[in-house]
Amino acid sequence: MPLSYDTSSAAALPAATSALRSGLPRSRIFISNEFGLILLIVIFALVFGTMTHGFTSHFNLFTLGRNTAVNIMIGLSMMTVIVTGGLNLAVGAIGVCAAMLCGYALQVLHLPWPIALLLALALGAALGAVNGFAVVRTGLHSFIITLATMSIFYGVMIFLTRAEAYRNIPFGFVHFGSMKVLGDVSPLLLLALAVALALAALYRGSVLGREMLATGARREAAELSGIRTGRIITLCHMLSGALATVAALMLVARNGAAIPSMAGQLGQDWLLPAFLAPVLGGAVLNGGKAPVFGTCLGAALVSMLTSGLLLMQLGAFWVQTFLGLLLLLAMFLDKARRSYLAYRNLA
Amino acid sequence: MTSNPVFEARGVEKIFPGVKALGGVSLSLLPGSIHALLGENGAGKSTLIKVITGVHRPTSGEILLDGNRVHFANTREALAAGIGVVHQERNLIPRFSVAENIHLEQLVGRPLRPIDYAELNRQARQWLDEIELDVDPTRPVSELSVAQTQLVEIAKALSLRSRVLLLDEPTASLTPSESQTLFSILRRLRDSGVSLVFVSHKLEEVLEICDRVTVLRDGRNACESQSMQGMNRQDLVRFMIGRNEQAGGWRKRDVTARPVSMALQDVATAAGHRNISFSVRQGEILGLYGLVGAGRTELAKAIMGRIRVTGGQVLIDGQAARINSVADAIHRYGLGYVSEDRKSDGLVLSHSVLANAGIVVWRKLAGRFGRLSDAAVRKAVLPFLEQLEVKTPSLAQVVANLSGGNQQKISVAKWLAAGVKILIIDEPSVGIDIKTKAYLHQLIRELADRGTAVVLITSDMPEMISLADRIAVLDNYLIQGEVENDGVYDRMSQAIMNLIHHEAGHAAVPA
Repeated sequence: MPLSYDTSSAAALPAATSALRSGLPRSRIFISNEFGLILLIVIFALVFGTMTHGFTSHFNLFTLGRNTAVNIMIGLSMMTVIVTGGLNLAVGAIGVCAAMLCGYALQVLHLPWPIALLLALALGAALGAVNGFAVVRTGLHSFIITLATMSIFYGVMIFLTRAEAYRNIPFGFVHFGSMKVLGDVSPLLLLALAVALALAALYRGSVLGREMLATGARREAAELSGIRTGRIITLCHMLSGALATVAALMLVARNGAAIPSMAGQLGQDWLLPAFLAPVLGGAVLNGGKAPVFGTCLGAALVSMLTSGLLLMQLGAFWVQTFLGLLLLLAMFLDKARRSYLAYRNLA
Repeated sequence: MTSNPVFEARGVEKIFPGVKALGGVSLSLLPGSIHALLGENGAGKSTLIKVITGVHRPTSGEILLDGNRVHFANTREALAAGIGVVHQERNLIPRFSVAENIHLEQLVGRPLRPIDYAELNRQARQWLDEIELDVDPTRPVSELSVAQTQLVEIAKALSLRSRVLLLDEPTASLTPSESQTLFSILRRLRDSGVSLVFVSHKLEEVLEICDRVTVLRDGRNACESQSMQGMNRQDLVRFMIGRNEQAGGWRKRDVTARPVSMALQDVATAAGHRNISFSVRQGEILGLYGLVGAGRTELAKAIMGRIRVTGGQVLIDGQAARINSVADAIHRYGLGYVSEDRKSDGLVLSHSVLANAGIVVWRKLAGRFGRLSDAAVRKAVLPFLEQLEVKTPSLAQVVANLSGGNQQKISVAKWLAAGVKILIIDEPSVGIDIKTKAYLHQLIRELADRGTAVVLITSDMPEMISLADRIAVLDNYLIQGEVENDGVYDRMSQAIMNLIHHEAGHAAVPA
């Protein structure tokens, strides 16, 4: 089952009978984002494999898979809002807030960890709902709303936790962060892929997912077709909050602690991977497209580049510089690719 | 007037992907003349204006200035050659002063040079005097009235030493007395040797001030640069709509025995409508005629629940309807709305044919947990896409790549698939070719024959008279009256125009 949902290739017709059914769409696999990303991943894997020591070690492959899992969740969290033509700058802040609630529930309230996880997910979705509601009600761009809520959520969290970490996390939960299955694979990576599959099914084969895509692509047309677009946009933000929470909980499992600074000041450390993964994956910032598979590949590329560049003993700031350049390059290439497609369609 | 033409277009063709907007149009403009450019919506007027002003490059044909062939690569080159245009929509920067707006084109060419405001204002004063407009050049444009901004645009065009000045619907938002002031200015410009092109739907104005006329119909010349001497209103109408197109295809349909499907009683809306009352029966086509800005689209959106209804009530099948959202209108009351602006309101252009045709029925087709398969959607919409003969390479084709006519068919098909009982169709034939237009007209009649109540909104008079059973006339957010349509163009168009101009009050014309 293809993981990417793209309406332009969603409905290939069966065998041609009528004029309507004739002419299958041209195969565009070689100019698709996914193909380009796989190519880049292979190239960089070869480069890092030959140029560095330890890139292919068991330890490195394991941590790489684990980091990829977190980046996939961060990327998907942003993608669900990019689908609406918006942005969610508060992904990091929401994730950390939910993770801290999880830590509080475990360490202070002594709740069983599955309950703590559900509480965290509920808070993540609720904070997302705050964003969505504010965006729909005010009509302001989500950039402004989430810029504000990023600071508000993070500030309130720091006030409530006094910026202290919760380190008393039960082993049953933390174990997920360190265990290995199927050789060197982290279960977190499998979880991330399962979530991605579920999202692909949502966009590909459910009314809700399609309404999200239609709302994102052209809100007024969707509204006039009977879609309650305000509700849909709020749901997209809730989904984003829940996915950000999953990413943060993965970090809690990995670190064995819920730490206020685990996504950097205001959660800003997440922003670059959050944008890079969907944009590399082929998301359109104007909305209406949900490249789930591409976002996963984008997250994998970002994780691999980070790991490889660090192994090449480049300073962490150079990695940031490099990823920033990659974001610009991705936007530029995507623009070129789309004008090429537009040209081909008209010709 | 024996002088040589200052501007000529010869055999201009303009082909857009899928649509031939202009098919060999000619036009010649004499200095010191006011030339009327007429045509129905979609006849090619605006395309021709864009070709003349350098926005579009003609696919073939030639453009001559003072007898020499010229090519305009962009609007700037056309401006430099002395071709000015005052567009229908305002193109001034509201917060800038009158003087800054008038000289904007000169100022942007020299970004680093300091601006001598005293000189700027003095020069602006000169151009304002030229058209006898008494406003302070330092005032921001946002403080001016609509008529004043219109005149500032003319002053701006003059300051660029335009020898040819195109005015696109200059009186659309002016009161009659403001229009008269404008006309006296236009006459003076004509006498000073400027060649003016006057585009308007108001034939009375054209008869009053124009001396020559070019009429476009379906992208071709219905008449080319003829003298207006001896022409009357009927002659112009005949050129515009063609002799044999008068109310083509109209047939009497008796629906008086059918139950009323939808009725509006004293409806007021947040958009500003007051006392709107009309009803439409099952199987009836009710025309809602009004000029641009009369509040037609807003009324449709209010009925659909997109704009708030603030007073009165909407009855569906005799019951008061509570429509709080478009979803209510569609799913609870079986209403549908084919938007006039299919690119922004009607279709999701970047999505596939299948996604657009199925969007209204998704909810109905969904299985457990909202599961929805392409196969189910395809099964639901394909019969309608085939019935409407939508031409697309596949259902996966992105709608943006289809022609206007096919896009319009899809925006109708989605409502047919939804099985609506009441369909509001807003300007069904904007930007589509004649053949598709005839086809859509046939489809609308068949739809009504099968019992759908149709509310047809159009400013295309022949279209209205060939389709509607009854015509309600909307002007200034009020229903001015109703006429029973008998399919006779002259009588009907006269009756409708009378209602718009309030000459006949609210009296209905006997059928």
